[in-house]
Amino acid sequence: MTMKQDRREFLKKAGLGALAGLGAAAGLFPAFALEKTDPSTFTQKPTPGKVRWGMLIDTRKCKQNCTECIVRCHHDHNVPDLSGTKNEVKWIWKSGYEEAFPTASQQFQTDDVKHRKVLTLCNHCKEAPCTRACPTEATFKRWDGIVSMDYHRCIGCRFCMAACPYGSRSFNWEDPRPHVEELTAAYPTRMRGVVEKCNFCSERLSKGDLPACVDSCPEKALIFGDLNDPDSEIRRMIAANQTMQRKPELGTLPSVFYII
Amino acid sequence: MNKLSQLLGAVAAGLVVFIAAWFFIHAGHGGSVPAHAEDPAVAAATVQPGGAPIDSSKCILPTEYMRAHHMQILNKWRHDSVREGNRVYVNPEGEHFEKSLNTCLGCHNNNPMFCFMCHQYADVKPTCWECHLSPMEVPQ
Amino acid sequence: MIEKALKGSRGYWTWVAFLLVVIGLGVTAYAKQMTLGLGVTGMGRDISWGVYIAQFTFLVGVAASAVMLVLPYYLHNQKDFAKIVIVGEFLAVSAALMCMLFILADMGRPDRVLNVLLHPSPHSMVFWDVLVLNGYLFLNLISGWAVLGAERKGVKPAPWVKWLIFLSIPWAFSIHTVTAFLFAGLPGRHLWLTAVLAPRFLASAFAAGTAILILLTFILKRVANFDAGPEARTKLAVLGAYAGVANLFFLGTEFFTAFYSNVPAHMHSLQYLYFGLHGHGPLVPYMWFSLIAGIISVGVLLSPPLRRKTGMLIAACIGLVVSIWIDKGVGLVIGGFNPTPLEAIVDYIPTFTEISVTLGIYGIGLLVLTMLLKVAVTVKTQEA
Repeated sequence: MTMKQDRREFLKKAGLGALAGLGAAAGLFPAFALEKTDPSTFTQKPTPGKVRWGMLIDTRKCKQNCTECIVRCHHDHNVPDLSGTKNEVKWIWKSGYEEAFPTASQQFQTDDVKHRKVLTLCNHCKEAPCTRACPTEATFKRWDGIVSMDYHRCIGCRFCMAACPYGSRSFNWEDPRPHVEELTAAYPTRMRGVVEKCNFCSERLSKGDLPACVDSCPEKALIFGDLNDPDSEIRRMIAANQTMQRKPELGTLPSVFYII
Repeated sequence: MNKLSQLLGAVAAGLVVFIAAWFFIHAGHGGSVPAHAEDPAVAAATVQPGGAPIDSSKCILPTEYMRAHHMQILNKWRHDSVREGNRVYVNPEGEHFEKSLNTCLGCHNNNPMFCFMCHQYADVKPTCWECHLSPMEVPQ
Repeated sequence: MIEKALKGSRGYWTWVAFLLVVIGLGVTAYAKQMTLGLGVTGMGRDISWGVYIAQFTFLVGVAASAVMLVLPYYLHNQKDFAKIVIVGEFLAVSAALMCMLFILADMGRPDRVLNVLLHPSPHSMVFWDVLVLNGYLFLNLISGWAVLGAERKGVKPAPWVKWLIFLSIPWAFSIHTVTAFLFAGLPGRHLWLTAVLAPRFLASAFAAGTAILILLTFILKRVANFDAGPEARTKLAVLGAYAGVANLFFLGTEFFTAFYSNVPAHMHSLQYLYFGLHGHGPLVPYMWFSLIAGIISVGVLLSPPLRRKTGMLIAACIGLVVSIWIDKGVGLVIGGFNPTPLEAIVDYIPTFTEISVTLGIYGIGLLVLTMLLKVAVTVKTQEA
């Protein structure tokens, strides 16, 4: 009787040990892998931090009643039209000077600047509080500086919305599809229950095109380029002009600059 | 060894085996997608999808393989393009494709029931179409 | 032991039936929310957190307050608490459960909740909150149940139980600290961006939690003939009073920093809450009521002749709970989002659906608490 019991114990332990050993060996010795890993599949990914996309908005050129960039962005990305309601979704919109720059001096401001409308959108901050807050890394900082959304992973907790100091993010409080007037076939919509925001048109950048808003502006008020390249147009213009950023004291290092 | 300790020991051992097995299976790629080294010059900022005329009779991979593995391919493509910036897929024939649902729909665009024929038969309801525009919605 | 929750008087079953009705209504409302989306609540783009997160914040504090019984009893042998430590632990279980249900109710994609575990993000406070809250629930459930079971058998609890109980003591502080960090680390919300938020959360938690415990002892005395004793209540009242004083003191320091420094970002949220801002002041009466009720309640709890009167004690406890519930729930969350990052003031009123879901979750929490306490009281009265 005892012999049988011992043999069973031995077999159990041997089996377990073999399994563990197999797993360890496969992990430690590439040659031993039961499934060949083809190292060539680990293809070249973009170098993180090489490119840093940024935008310069010349608010002097922005026409008061013009909304070309907003219309184009929202159309190209199937952003639902819920304007005027509490469930509003917007990626880019116009704000007053005092609303966009509440911590800048408002004293003895010229009438022109006081009534100026500035474009507000996601700043794609270098030190983004939203990506730090996200519990699933559904929003994350991409290799090219874009603060990206993975709509597949977002759980809709809206922590990122609380974290954003600029109010750039919108949540899909209801199904957006019925509120998209004209679907753009080349781009998906979002589903109910996820957060969305400007993505610096990463889908256009991957084809070598400029963002839709930049492309659509009749006054060429929007400059877009690589902030890491000192010879880029955006860098030269930032060097040549007085620029402002929104709430710089928070240390978010935004990638959007304004000429007032 | 009393009963409780035995039980806890067995549970711990089982957990170790399970976790080891999980990592072992997921350490490589979850679904083996055969691919060759991508041309580094192509994997830079821009993408040249194929370039050859659209030929729906020939998919990125053999039909039987696609039938069995398309979901794993799409999962990997999604991860690669959204999270890694790795947008170019090269199939064993050396053809380049953009890792996007649009690649599939770009060829399979003459049949509004493209995905649904099989999914309805298999009673599978993936949530892709909550966001992505399905072949039924995209103008043909 | 759970079978003890399935035997009860007419009153017990009437109460359970009532809770089941409330839960049923909550489930119906939640079904509506699942179908149509979170838009059925009063939340919107600008006020993106509301009643659900407010309840979560308040209840995390209540869950943490079990430590007010556990610490004195297990670490300092405070014998007066012998009968009611289990009440504290089971209250913690119920409160922690409600916290998790409120988070689930607030999520846009609850079907993806496991993403938090599948894609761990240690830089996120929500990630840690999920871990510590779950851990705390099981710590209290397992240790409370084990001690109760041992008591029923007339033996000492197993040796490993005391380690879980010791662990639950710093863990209680940690759950509410992590929740405070959730708010206090966000650079854009100036009502929350203060180091004193975590101490304030703990103080208000211990104040409200002990008050709830005192009220529970009165309820148990009335419905189950289970009396914790006036000494236990007095000690709890004193603890709650001091915690309440600390909470009021922290509020005072917030006012000082904001208004003495005169920095607009610091002042605006407090102005919105207590005085109204830009013509908007819907919460002003509630915040003042909260403050005055809090001061009076703490005063009563601090005064031995006053708190000795049962009526006064009950009133003070209720007053303290309501005061802190308003401050921590309504004031904290809505005040945090107003003014918005673009300096607008947006009103928030919870909808009927939202309130139904909230009451339904409270119903679930109360049902779990009722059943657990039924077991505890039955075991302890049979023991005696």
